[in-house]
Amino acid sequence: MTTRTHPGWFTRTFVHGISGWVTLLTYLFMLLPIVVLVAFAFNAGKSTVVWTGFSFDWFVKVWHNRNIVKALHVSLIVAVGSAAIATAIGALAAVAITRREFPGRDLLGAALAAPLVLPEIVLSVALLVFMTFAGITLGYGSMIVGHVLVSIPFATLIIRAAAASLDVRLEDAAADLGANEWQTFRMVTLPQLMPAIATAFILSATLSFDNLVMSTFTSGVGTTTLPLRIYSMLKLGITPEINALGAMMVAANVAILLLVMGRYLPLMLKSNRR
Amino acid sequence: MQDNSPAQPAVDLRGVVKRFGTMTAVDHLDLTIRSGEFFTMLGASGCGKTTTLRLIAGFELPTEGQILISGQDVSDIPAYQRPVHTVFQSYALFPHLTILDNVAFPLRVRRLPRAEQRARAMAALEMVQMGRYGDRKPSQLSGGQQQRVALARALVNEPTVLLLDEPLGALDLKLRKEMQLELKDMQRRLGITFVFVTHDQEEALTLSDRIALMQGGRIVQLDTPANLYNAPQSLYAAEFIGETNLIPARMVSADHGSSVVEALGQTYRAEGTTASAGAAVTLALRPERVRREPAGTGPVGELVEIDFIGTDLRLTYRMADGSKVIVRQQNSGGIPPAIGERMPLGFETDSLRIFTS
Repeated sequence: MTTRTHPGWFTRTFVHGISGWVTLLTYLFMLLPIVVLVAFAFNAGKSTVVWTGFSFDWFVKVWHNRNIVKALHVSLIVAVGSAAIATAIGALAAVAITRREFPGRDLLGAALAAPLVLPEIVLSVALLVFMTFAGITLGYGSMIVGHVLVSIPFATLIIRAAAASLDVRLEDAAADLGANEWQTFRMVTLPQLMPAIATAFILSATLSFDNLVMSTFTSGVGTTTLPLRIYSMLKLGITPEINALGAMMVAANVAILLLVMGRYLPLMLKSNRR
Repeated sequence: MQDNSPAQPAVDLRGVVKRFGTMTAVDHLDLTIRSGEFFTMLGASGCGKTTTLRLIAGFELPTEGQILISGQDVSDIPAYQRPVHTVFQSYALFPHLTILDNVAFPLRVRRLPRAEQRARAMAALEMVQMGRYGDRKPSQLSGGQQQRVALARALVNEPTVLLLDEPLGALDLKLRKEMQLELKDMQRRLGITFVFVTHDQEEALTLSDRIALMQGGRIVQLDTPANLYNAPQSLYAAEFIGETNLIPARMVSADHGSSVVEALGQTYRAEGTTASAGAAVTLALRPERVRREPAGTGPVGELVEIDFIGTDLRLTYRMADGSKVIVRQQNSGGIPPAIGERMPLGFETDSLRIFTS
């Protein structure tokens, strides 16, 4: 038996007492602005700081703002498009890197993770210069390419981790039972990677949906994304319309997060345990 | 087993070598596995038995030599095109598929009609008494149940040869015994060639028609279980299979079939090596072939230890020269021997073997 010493006054006062307060303050600091933002979305007046009454007017107004609806449309296309491409490349690269021996394997792994450490602004400028040099008109295409660059390290890392933890013996077993390489990939490897692939897709889409820097450089005429639209609206003065939009984005994000946690987290935990 | 099988061997290894870097896992192996037999590769870990199995399955390609399955050279044919299936020690069931889909997997990759896939998978599951578990997932089954499913999955496609890589290794003793009986029964019923890998000599003796005892990538002895146990051809075989008394001895006169040796102050006639007279040799003898003979003239030992096994008593005697001789005697009632008794021991000479030390 180890003797248990009674905690001294220092531990009692600072560690137990103050750490609780610090935690609480940290959460307040992080979450309070969001709470205020959401609250003022329901303000009846035009101010985002003085409460004048409850109303849904600003939400209605957002949905009638053609510019915002159009920007949402653009954002969704870019998010889904870039996430699909980033996830597909990430999945294939992850499987190749974890399962195959080929020259330059380590280099490929490093190259796919590189955008993670490069400042996004550098990446964006480089891409813009390249596009201009190549005579490419900015629009959906350029923006999707940019967003793929931003999200590909995350997609690859998530799927790589899952691919590395897969049981190689299952692929041996599939081959033993008569499945060729493609059948083994499609019927054994891919289904087991699905939770990771879905997670990578959702994360990539979220990153794209939130992106401001890359979008600033790569968007063209008529392809203004939601974050860009919000940023330009701020310059014209803040109304609760932005709060309403922000509240809806928070709600959408939380919904997606819950969906991911509810649907895929248990699956991932379960498959890791085996 | 009676030899009504066609002359074509199920598996034929010719001069097979497998090296991993500088390590030689399989060393010039020549091996013919007959069609329809229960063949076991037995040996300690690292003896090359599993590598040999993986070579037959096609997970490894031989560095040298040829592998034939049913007379066809498969040395360059990938695993998925070989007419062999494997039961893995880890079961290797696909966690994302139901039990029925696991068993139907080999049929699905061959693109058989869905109805046939289902029917045959179901029949295979019934065969291993797992018919009720078709829509469960592997994680919902016990180890023994997963083992049965793995067996059904490997058999559903009716392979020419079934490879079993220590399939019972993870089961507890009682379940193990049960599965041994079922495996043997199933092999007889289906007439499929089983190639079984194990490090458990008892399991090998129980199940096999023939056993290849392996060491260092080579076959030490290839024989029926009875011959391997009763007539080991080397000290290694004698020690690996069952328990053996190894008694230091001296060669008196060498002769093919019946040499004379001196051990424990007595002379014995025995089969084995023909070392020159005067050479130090080892006399091997199974404990159940030593008898307590109160009126005998054999060497006298002092009983120093009694182990109660259940069906047997295992008695350890210390001899005059300090060496120990173990006696196994059936637990058939009567007055048990007591520690300290001094007893002449009789050796059944037909079971004595001489090996060079």
